[in-house]
Amino acid sequence: MSEFTPTIGIEVHVEIKSKSKLFSSSANTYGMATNTAVNVIDLGYPGTLPTVNKEIVRQGVRTAHILNCDITRRMHFDRKNYFYPDNPKNYQITQNRTPIGRNGYVEIEVDGVKKKIEIEELHIEEDTCKSAHRGNVSLLDFNRAGIPLIEIVTKPCIKNGKEAMAYLTKLKELLFYANISDCKMEEGSMRCEPNISISKDNNFGTKVEVKNVSSIHNVGLAIDYEIKRQEEMLNNGEIIKEETRRFDDKQGKTILMRVKETGNDYRYFIEPDIPYLDLSDEFINDSLKSLPLLPDELREKYSKVGLNSLQIEKLINNRSLNDYFLGLLKYKTNYVTAVNLLLSDVSSYLNKHNKVITDTNLSYEKLVNVIEALESGDLSNKNVKDLIDSLMETNKTLEELKKEFNIENITDDSFIKEIISKVIENNTDSVNDYKNGHDRALKYLMGQVMKETKGAVNPKMASDMLCEALNK
Amino acid sequence: MDKLSREEVLHVAHLARISLTEEEIEKFRVQLKVLMDDIDKIKEVKDFDDEMMYTPINENTRLRDDVVGEMLSAKVATINAPKKNGSFIEVPVMINE
Repeated sequence: MSEFTPTIGIEVHVEIKSKSKLFSSSANTYGMATNTAVNVIDLGYPGTLPTVNKEIVRQGVRTAHILNCDITRRMHFDRKNYFYPDNPKNYQITQNRTPIGRNGYVEIEVDGVKKKIEIEELHIEEDTCKSAHRGNVSLLDFNRAGIPLIEIVTKPCIKNGKEAMAYLTKLKELLFYANISDCKMEEGSMRCEPNISISKDNNFGTKVEVKNVSSIHNVGLAIDYEIKRQEEMLNNGEIIKEETRRFDDKQGKTILMRVKETGNDYRYFIEPDIPYLDLSDEFINDSLKSLPLLPDELREKYSKVGLNSLQIEKLINNRSLNDYFLGLLKYKTNYVTAVNLLLSDVSSYLNKHNKVITDTNLSYEKLVNVIEALESGDLSNKNVKDLIDSLMETNKTLEELKKEFNIENITDDSFIKEIISKVIENNTDSVNDYKNGHDRALKYLMGQVMKETKGAVNPKMASDMLCEALNK
Repeated sequence: MDKLSREEVLHVAHLARISLTEEEIEKFRVQLKVLMDDIDKIKEVKDFDDEMMYTPINENTRLRDDVVGEMLSAKVATINAPKKNGSFIEVPVMINE
């Protein structure tokens, strides 16, 4: 056990979903041609004025709410001044003194232990332009300038990489499900910057910030690496400097970027171009109305309809299937069978064809019919596999498809009996196993019956008859 | 006469990303000090708070509806840039990033 205690805080920037930018009416999109999603406000032209996008304020209210924060009622914006080519105004408009949310938390669970990760504050700010470096020059694309961001800052209450990863996973899930951000770390719409310090006593050590971490997994690696590096330095009698490092995932270590400018150097002052923003109860309630069910609420709901935790997690991990399944709950059917179908045959089809379920013709009515047919034995799992492409691609009903595919399960008693006798005769070991209480033997024998008939018998009927024959 | 220290002037110059000649450093040691004294005088106002300085308008800020408006072409967007590279604006390499 190390004699040092690590203290970790995390700043997360997420790009907020909206049609237009935070302070201008340019498009808030990703992937447009260079310098075409811009206007004079984004380029910082003299004489232009910022106007606040209502939807972003609503998104801020929603974020504060789902992260259990107090919502600030009277806010202003601030200018953070710095000279850098990524921002031609020479200041970024942000919220320094009146962040939209304060004092929240996200509950995580690590190794079966629940913990609240405390949120210090969250605020709205504009993104800077995107720069690419080529030798002696940097190339600037202003499409990103003015894209709305929310920055979420935790208190220094995280103890290790594992807790950090659990927090980020939960945060991402919440923001994604609340339709606040698409949280794509690879496209930069979610950026995580952990800061790490270690100390032997109750005083905080000098903190080091890590930037450019490209995945949640790497945040965990970067933190654990940084704790080890700082421990070694202190053990060698070296002094840790306040600095910014980046994580190099190929080398698996952090590398020095720069020694930090201090907060005072940003000379924050109130943005005089935007008057105060007062949020009314009506505005807040109205903003929260459109919040969909969040993951923990979904977990509870799904558990009530009989899904197990593995099925629930798989479903929540797949937003489009989850949303589809949520719609299915309006119908009366066997939800466990439904989710099994969605996670097996339907998912394989979607993956194979690179589609989402809303691109297909699998209506709820059709799915409910398939589930009923599976339960009554009119359809076997093998039949579903044969039919899946047509179920997904055509508007034909299950009945029409059964005719077309010649699926008419054999329900001829004497034929089935004959097959069962043959299977029992040829598999005396398995029959004895079954009689000695090994339930798996029944599955094996049933498999043999299906094999003999090439899956054409009504499975429920065959299974009942097999049990009857064995229990004689 | 009171002056700022050389280091203070150089620090401010660094934040503004400008270089100064020796003569300029000496000049700004005096001039910036005069400015700072003026600011100190403002700070002496009783019951001073940010809100007084911030806005004379009592009205709430007007929020804009989330609608996409007109945008520029890359050609127009970069028209005043000292240097271009395709549709990009080109600047000297940004250090430390």
